[in-house]
Amino acid sequence: MSRFLPFLFVGIALAIWEAAARSGLWSPLLFPSLTRIFKELVLFLSSGTTLLEAWVSLERALGGFALAAVVGILLGIVMGRSRLVAALLDPLFSGTYAVPKLALFPIFIFVFGIGSLSKIALVFLECLYPIVIMTYAGARDVSRALLWSAQNMGASRAAILRRVVIPATTPFIFAGFRVAVPVAMIVVVITEMISSADGLGYLVIYSLASLKTDRMLAVVVVIAVLGYALDKAVVLLRDRLIYWEKLDTYYV
Amino acid sequence: MALAKAGALIAVLLLWQLAALRGLPEYVLSPLQIARFFVQALGSAELYENIAASLGRSLPGFAIGSALGAALGLAAGVARWFDRMLSPAVFLTYPVPKIVMLPIFMIWFGIGDLSKILIIALACFYPVFINAYYGVRQTRTILVWSALGMGASRWEVFRRVVLPSASPMIFASLRVSLALSFIVMFAAEMINARSGLGHMIRIAENSLRFDLMYVSLVAIAILGYAGDRLVRFAHSRLLAWQQPA
Repeated sequence: MSRFLPFLFVGIALAIWEAAARSGLWSPLLFPSLTRIFKELVLFLSSGTTLLEAWVSLERALGGFALAAVVGILLGIVMGRSRLVAALLDPLFSGTYAVPKLALFPIFIFVFGIGSLSKIALVFLECLYPIVIMTYAGARDVSRALLWSAQNMGASRAAILRRVVIPATTPFIFAGFRVAVPVAMIVVVITEMISSADGLGYLVIYSLASLKTDRMLAVVVVIAVLGYALDKAVVLLRDRLIYWEKLDTYYV
Repeated sequence: MALAKAGALIAVLLLWQLAALRGLPEYVLSPLQIARFFVQALGSAELYENIAASLGRSLPGFAIGSALGAALGLAAGVARWFDRMLSPAVFLTYPVPKIVMLPIFMIWFGIGDLSKILIIALACFYPVFINAYYGVRQTRTILVWSALGMGASRWEVFRRVVLPSASPMIFASLRVSLALSFIVMFAAEMINARSGLGHMIRIAENSLRFDLMYVSLVAIAILGYAGDRLVRFAHSRLLAWQQPA
């Protein structure tokens, strides 16, 4: 019995959905049945044009995320190892941390145009914060004993960075990644919903506007699976790279 | 140190202002212009109406989502059967961008405030649930054992041991979910609303009123910053016994 408990909740939710869809109390526009959503999903996956939309969204999310990862890790490590840089940059990051960067999007549209670039720039900006903050926290708190013993044994600064600081910081970097990856997906979908002519977020809004609720929910399922798969990819990579440390991810 | 802190910010603003003197595109206003427009807007009722509309959506959503997240997260951390029933569904849907549910919520609950409040609540639920859950799980076993050994009831153990040791993490997640509530509120208003700061920036964008765009931006920035400060203040007040991080 207890083995099925994890699926109980999901099963009940799906059963209620199907019952609501079949009861006829609501229009199928409100509750399209699971079979119809599934049909739309198959249609989505079998068509090249819709798969292309998914690729467009994925490209934007990964592009912005990759830029943020490179810049964020560099900034975070430099901030963690240099008190002067930390004193200069930390107020900038912590001061604007709680400000919704999404509000900059209209200005980004004017600066970078309405295409992919403005969206990638916003993804970059939103992903930068968690990565910088976590990397900074990790690089700052590298155990002194390890640094001192490496110095005593005659390691150069570059060797210390490569052999001590970076391995000690990697778990934190991945914690930052796990926050940043869903953020990248969120920002891409939101910006595509607000202003775009392509991508999954646009498909959601377009299906809604044409009252195709079943198609809209199929796209939602695709977005959900993508978000889940990206998170799983980060976890897999983390477990391969830092097998010596098991971490639960939560917000600090 | 304090000088260096303010220094970076002042340097950025100075560079920006200098760049504006050299000539910037018309959609990038100088800091002084933005300040002047913002002070001007403070004198009109429009800004306050939009702020009130926005807060009327984000705060109830934040309160509902965080309260539910904390309650269910604590319950899942304490009760094993509840954990096994609910947690897989939560962790499975956690990396999914919740904003995609907005169109469905609009169909179910109408295009008014209710659908927006519920989508904000949904987004705020996850971080608080996860931190409350791990907060409970990280309670030191030895503390629970000693409390039980000294004859505390299960409720007393929860109230006096588990809850205090989970609360720092719950507060940490409240900062995240408050920031999230502003983001989702802004997004929902930009997608579909007749009032609020997100609506204001949309209108400004469409009519090329760059001044209004920056006024809305500054307003949301101040709200986000002030809200974050408030949560941190409440944290340090309520959990004064905790070592400052």
